[in-house]
Amino acid sequence: MAAQARKGGISLPERRNPKKDDEGVIAKFSQSQVVVRGKQAANDAAFVTKKLMKSTGKAAWIAGTTFLILVVPLIIAMDREQQLNELELQQANILGTSAPPPK
Amino acid sequence: MAALVPPPPPTTAADTTQKPKEDEKVDYFNLPCPIPYEEIHREALMSLKPELFEGMRFDFTKGLNQRFSLSHSVFMGPMEVPSQSPETIKIPTAHYEFGANFIDPKLMLFGRIMTDGRLNARVKCDLSENLTLKANSQLTNEPHMSHGMVNFDYKGKDYRSQFQLGNGALFGANYIQSVTPHLSLGGEVFWAGQHRKSGIGYAARYNTDKMVATGQVASTGMVALSYVQKVSEKVSLASDFMYNYMSRDVTASFGYDYILRQCRLRGKIDSNGTVAAFLEERLNMGLNFVLSAEIDHRKKDYKFGFGLTVGE
Repeated sequence: MAAQARKGGISLPERRNPKKDDEGVIAKFSQSQVVVRGKQAANDAAFVTKKLMKSTGKAAWIAGTTFLILVVPLIIAMDREQQLNELELQQANILGTSAPPPK
Repeated sequence: MAALVPPPPPTTAADTTQKPKEDEKVDYFNLPCPIPYEEIHREALMSLKPELFEGMRFDFTKGLNQRFSLSHSVFMGPMEVPSQSPETIKIPTAHYEFGANFIDPKLMLFGRIMTDGRLNARVKCDLSENLTLKANSQLTNEPHMSHGMVNFDYKGKDYRSQFQLGNGALFGANYIQSVTPHLSLGGEVFWAGQHRKSGIGYAARYNTDKMVATGQVASTGMVALSYVQKVSEKVSLASDFMYNYMSRDVTASFGYDYILRQCRLRGKIDSNGTVAAFLEERLNMGLNFVLSAEIDHRKKDYKFGFGLTVGE
């Protein structure tokens, strides 16, 4: 500070240091190491969570749309094929059972 | 990629390959004829490269008699314009295509003309038992975009060779030979006089009833590998890998091909972040409904199309 003042620039009067002694308990507490670190940690955590949520959402979107394109038509097609097969089997059964024994 | 494919369940014969079952002792003088050099990736391309489109299309084919048929097709939809910018530019287009086909066992003629002035003609003619002439030409109203190509194919007992002549002083020749009943090896040379380029390439193909594996390298820097596993008569899984040494492009893709009684479904996912599906549904005899979907997650480019095919 002193060096800066000597260089010729206008320096603010050093009001902070003398004031430090008569700060309130809350101010003291809020400036303490633990709280500052805690705040920082909370901020970081919030940031990371936000990012994580965003990327998870993106991944879920990609996975969902991919599933919709690749797998859903396959499931529908296979399901219908099975239904057709069952229908055919049923018809064969009806024909097969009704034809030989005429009740 | 091959590791993804599940082991083949014991199924009855998949009879897509044309070779007879031979006894354990291999008769090297009686090898089957390989498939043409340009078609060695046929199975993989069938499952991995369906004709995806965006918009609406309608195709109608009418047979006038046994040999002669006419085709009409209408397409409407956005068309991509090539540009330098990373995002794709699409302009809406619509065109109509008229075609005439003549199909005879010895001679095939196809002609197509589009409303935007493109004319496409193809000829395939069997000159003799073993020699086939194929010609392909495309004429456009833009300068330097017209192409012409003539191929002479010679089919031997266990080999095939082809000689190509194209406009722009393009010459090419290729040869493929069966080495064992399952393995065939081939090579090609080409020379493009207009661009002062030449190159050679090699290819190998191994096919059994259950799987087809192919590999191809060329001096243009292209390496292409593909593997197709026929899980059953209806289902086949395909994967391919493309690498270009010059441009350092690498693409791997994996797809399935499911042939059902009334529809055929093809799906594909590749390492560029593209997912695609293509569904052909047979509604009635000679009436097909086509659905095409393609999603490019990276470019955020979504393409959906539907179409109707009547006739054939």
